[in-house]
Amino acid sequence: MAKYILKRFLHGLISIVIVVAIVMMLIYSLLDRTTIFSEDEVYRKLQNNARTTYTYRRWQDYGYLHYVNYNDWLNEQVREGKLDPETKDEATDLGRKPEDDEGVVAQYVKEFTDYYESQGYKVERLKAVTSRRKVAAGGQAELFAHKDRPLVSRLWSYFSSIVTIDTIHYVDEDVDIGKRELTFTTHDPVYGGEKFSPAIMGNGTKHKYLLYFDDKFPYLHQNLITINLGTSYSVNKDHDVLETMLQSQGSYVTRPTVFPSGHVEESADDLHTAIYLEGSLAGSELLQSRFTDDYTNVLTRRGGRSKVAFSFSIGILASIMAYALGLPLGVFMARHKDGIVDKLGTFYIVFIMAVPSLAYIFLFKAIGGSMGLPTTFDVNNGTALMYVLPIVSLALPSVANLMKWLRRYMIDQMNSDYVKFARSGGLSENEIFAKHILKNAAIPIVHAIPGTILGALTGAIITERVYVVPGTGNLLTQAINFYDNGVIVGVAMFYGMLSVVAIILGDVLMSVVDPRISFSSESR
Amino acid sequence: MKSELTNLKELGLPEEELFSFVEHSDTEAEKITAPRYSYWQSVFRVFFKKKINIIMLGLLVLIIIFAYVYPTLITYDRYANITDSTTKHLMPGAAIEKFGFSLSWILGSGGSGEPTFDTVWVGSRISISLALMCAVINLSIGVIVGAVWGFSKKMDMIMMEVYNTLYNIPYVLLISVLVLTLTASFWTMVFALTVVGWLGVAYFIRTQVIIIRDREYNLASRCLGTPIRRIAFRNILPFMTSVIVTLSATEIPSYISYEVFLSYIGVGLKDMSLGRLIYEAEPAMVTNGWQFEFWSPVAVASIIAVVLYVVGQNLGDASDPRTHM
Repeated sequence: MAKYILKRFLHGLISIVIVVAIVMMLIYSLLDRTTIFSEDEVYRKLQNNARTTYTYRRWQDYGYLHYVNYNDWLNEQVREGKLDPETKDEATDLGRKPEDDEGVVAQYVKEFTDYYESQGYKVERLKAVTSRRKVAAGGQAELFAHKDRPLVSRLWSYFSSIVTIDTIHYVDEDVDIGKRELTFTTHDPVYGGEKFSPAIMGNGTKHKYLLYFDDKFPYLHQNLITINLGTSYSVNKDHDVLETMLQSQGSYVTRPTVFPSGHVEESADDLHTAIYLEGSLAGSELLQSRFTDDYTNVLTRRGGRSKVAFSFSIGILASIMAYALGLPLGVFMARHKDGIVDKLGTFYIVFIMAVPSLAYIFLFKAIGGSMGLPTTFDVNNGTALMYVLPIVSLALPSVANLMKWLRRYMIDQMNSDYVKFARSGGLSENEIFAKHILKNAAIPIVHAIPGTILGALTGAIITERVYVVPGTGNLLTQAINFYDNGVIVGVAMFYGMLSVVAIILGDVLMSVVDPRISFSSESR
Repeated sequence: MKSELTNLKELGLPEEELFSFVEHSDTEAEKITAPRYSYWQSVFRVFFKKKINIIMLGLLVLIIIFAYVYPTLITYDRYANITDSTTKHLMPGAAIEKFGFSLSWILGSGGSGEPTFDTVWVGSRISISLALMCAVINLSIGVIVGAVWGFSKKMDMIMMEVYNTLYNIPYVLLISVLVLTLTASFWTMVFALTVVGWLGVAYFIRTQVIIIRDREYNLASRCLGTPIRRIAFRNILPFMTSVIVTLSATEIPSYISYEVFLSYIGVGLKDMSLGRLIYEAEPAMVTNGWQFEFWSPVAVASIIAVVLYVVGQNLGDASDPRTHM
């Protein structure tokens, strides 16, 4: 059994890799790259060559290609000590046309071109755009190299960075940040250094706090091992998909916070989430008054629940409601076939099957609204009542689905030989139904239970949109609308994982419920 | 079966016709007497026996007339009244009062002063065409692939992997990317909905084929040397007719539903389909006096879907030979 499950799981993992590859191919190769600029204000304002270089820079940010600008390369050379700043200043001055390049410039341009062409890059030189002999706005000559990221390398870097372990070598070795080490403290400085609260802190790591306690469930938290499904670019900038899903939302919760500099303030910053951000301290006076190092990128404490929490609580309650209503109704319909309940139930099933889901969700919304139930979600001042309509809207279609299948399976079972035998043996109809037919008919229903539970995590697109629920269901459509490639890949990966696990769990559960089904080869 | 005995005299036949010698004939002896049975005739006999089917079929004809004939009879210009603010968002009563009674205004007017009734039917034509087109493509590819898939063990292995993989790709993502890549035209939509849509149909058919393939009568047929093709077309396809009809009954409304859903999340058609109408009229739902704009396309979409579904389901029931008794 264990061997079989392992085999299935590995199989599932392979299909996930293929899915991610297909998704990457879809978004990086098929989708027109220029569409990401459709809503971009900066792009619209820029002109000429500046716009072109901006485009490439953005494409690099979105993960389409590798891009190196001549000036960045020169700066890099200076940092590496291969070039002195004076020569660099001289070398930056590109001519209006490639032919105009003078001594030093021509030399470094050639070096840049040769180096990157040997690396497989495409080097482009944009001539200066002039109007009335002057360089037009954004018309400076540009030299840059770019290379499309091949699918295989993209896939490899994606999968190899899914699980990362934070080490003290995270911060670039060239940056001087003092001694790189992990320190253990019994008095967490976040609590002013007076309360007993053990923590492991790092210098040189990505996260400042690697292990700490706080007052939120499960009280002990770690940042040592992080899972990256895909970094967001526009939906929730620089944060991972998983983090976006798990982050609490809503209004800020402030509490007196002791910052590393000793500054005390009512703040919503959660210092435990501090991430290293190179050069952030030097650039901001505000940060300098609070922080003492570059671990300044902190998340804020918010009062509401996370996307997953909203989606899951709605989804799971809806599923419970669906099973609680659908199963007895389905059994009753099969038990009294062609009776009044069966006819009404069939009508309901037809209604749900045929009518567009959007239409009946709106219908539920209109009916619920006229009954005085809240029709939109409020993250901050939530009441239990606002959950009612989304749950009902999600549950009622599943009720129809469960009714349909349970009735179908039970009626199929009713004609089988063992039922006739049981009847001839003198069992009452109730006994036959409850003890024999239901048990057999429930097997395919049981198979779907793990899928239902895990499916609740992914949220429901329409329901969440109609009732303005800040759940996970909208994340994919939102990411598509913002062309946030990292999030799209991450969400696809998340869905794929869940569905693989759900199917395997369903099979396992089925074999637990029905001893006739066995996955180990010996007993077959 | 009649159980009571028939009095021969009541038949009113002459004695010699009732009792006369018949020559022995070898060819006649080989014939099997069976009641005359025509499959499709029986299908329609069973189908029309139910009153509800006649009503539904009538509704279906009416819908088709309104969706395909009615828009050609009227001159529909969505922005004809756009400059006249008094024509916008009218309730049916007010619209009829303003424009005089005509069929166009019985559902009031929309946000650009257009007649809601006409808009809805122009939209229905696109939605129905889309649903039919997708259903035809998906069903024909799905049935053919599914039949081969069910028969060939080698293909089963490959196709199961393909199925498991492709079904993990979020459908919304696939369609959105396709719609964004190619422009959101009618044929793009058809392509997006059919590019993996046939796979579900094929999987369903495959399961059915596998169930029927190993039944005793097919084993017997194979033992007698019937070629696979003949088994597929003569033994299995007739069995599948009712399955396929039932499947199309669920498929067609599902595409209407899907089109509405896609329009709602913003990756739908650019044309005025029912989905797009619902999407655009959503704010009207909560505005007093504007509800007709919103509920008309919703109601029409629902009616079309229900009618197609019920007709299809009952036709599927009727095409099952076991109901022909």
